[in-house]
Amino acid sequence: MAEYRDDRYYVESHEWILTDGDTATVGISDFAQEELGDIVYVEADSVGESLEKGEIFGSVESVKVASDLFMPIDGEVLEFNEVLEEEPELINEDAYAAWIIKIKVSDPSQIDDLLDAEKYQEIAE
Amino acid sequence: MMKRTILYDEHLALKAKMVDFAGWEMPVQYTGIKDETAAVREAQGMFDVSHMGEIRVAGTGAGEFLDYVLSRKISLKNPELTNYAFLCYEDGGVVDDLMVYQLDTEDYWLVVNAANTDKDFAHLQEILTKYEQQNEISISNETDNYGLIAIQGTGSLIPTLNALTPIYPALNISEKIGNLKRFRQVSFPLNDKHLVVSRTGYTGEDGYEVYLPADDTTKLWRNLLKENIKPCGLGARDALRLEAGLPLYGHELSSQINPLEAGLGKFVELDRDFVGKAMMGKQQRKSIALISEDKSIPRDGYQVFFQDQEIGYITSGSFSPTLNKGIAFALVTADLAEGITEVEVAIRRKKHTYKITTTPFV
Repeated sequence: MAEYRDDRYYVESHEWILTDGDTATVGISDFAQEELGDIVYVEADSVGESLEKGEIFGSVESVKVASDLFMPIDGEVLEFNEVLEEEPELINEDAYAAWIIKIKVSDPSQIDDLLDAEKYQEIAE
Repeated sequence: MMKRTILYDEHLALKAKMVDFAGWEMPVQYTGIKDETAAVREAQGMFDVSHMGEIRVAGTGAGEFLDYVLSRKISLKNPELTNYAFLCYEDGGVVDDLMVYQLDTEDYWLVVNAANTDKDFAHLQEILTKYEQQNEISISNETDNYGLIAIQGTGSLIPTLNALTPIYPALNISEKIGNLKRFRQVSFPLNDKHLVVSRTGYTGEDGYEVYLPADDTTKLWRNLLKENIKPCGLGARDALRLEAGLPLYGHELSSQINPLEAGLGKFVELDRDFVGKAMMGKQQRKSIALISEDKSIPRDGYQVFFQDQEIGYITSGSFSPTLNKGIAFALVTADLAEGITEVEVAIRRKKHTYKITTTPFV
């Protein structure tokens, strides 16, 4: 059974976002990692770019499939969690600890439109 | 509603992740593609491939009929061998790739891809209606009557014998299967059906494929579980076959890609008449094997470049759990020079260098 944490927000494309002041970390949900299976590659080649909500910031790949990763809100991509380059399986082990990018939040009010854990769970399942 | 194999409930009990595969609800994985792949490479794994089609072609002249519809002269082969061959359209495009089993004199099985069973059956029927000796030959779809379990990995023999013998104590199983050489089969008549065991597979490892009456299949599956054979899903199966350098219909072969282009000419006997002979000389493209230089993973459909010129596309691409690298087959223009050792694959925003290699990859 997938875990849904209520300390953060989600989007339908299965990313989570956890804010901390005007920055935030973004990763993929436990449901998404379960669906993908063994994750073998993560990339975010958008560091330094300012992206809008819904734009692709990177990708995550399992043995079988490649999935694009989408910005949950507008922001500047500050950092890629480079640990994932060598150990992409950390996302399988704990999808909520293994953040993929850190962003600078452009418009904090966009957070209000995101899904809380309960709503996201309904959509995911 | 999707079709289910006789082992459907077994997969659910093992908490498999089920997916739609060509209209069949099949396990894609149980615990994970990486550890299932490793089980087959390092120990043994088993696959429910009961969805694959068995088409029986029998009657006086069945062998000659198959010679005419298949890419090889089946009737002249050693009947103990399982033969890989192509069923082709008139123009040489591929209807399906399949394994031929001879069960008895003028009694053959074509083991075909699940997605193609109905298409193959219709294709064979159509040719038969125009065939001279049609009255003597019957074609039947036996798929629903049989289960098929593949046990793969070095050391598969003993657990296979241990699992099979209690189900058929009256048959001389251990001697016949124990002496079976690679790519050979043995069939045991069972009332109106057969038990067929071949030392074959789709993983590049030694192993056995067991065709048995549908009603006995669950017993075999459970006996194999007791022998600690790891259940493996279609995800691992696809990774294993690509690592082994084996083609998959709909990827390396199709109605638009003939066996010569796919680099499988050794399974085509062109010095005679058969349906599909027109493929001769039609070789605008060729299949090459690629392996990554970095951590990138090539996927089906990605474009392949040589010196900024687009030369083709990936037909099958995956992460190889055994090599920890990206591997792929690509179909490229036939005039790509022989000495070239590297090409580029476009993956999202970048082009990545890939080495041209030989198969099997592992």
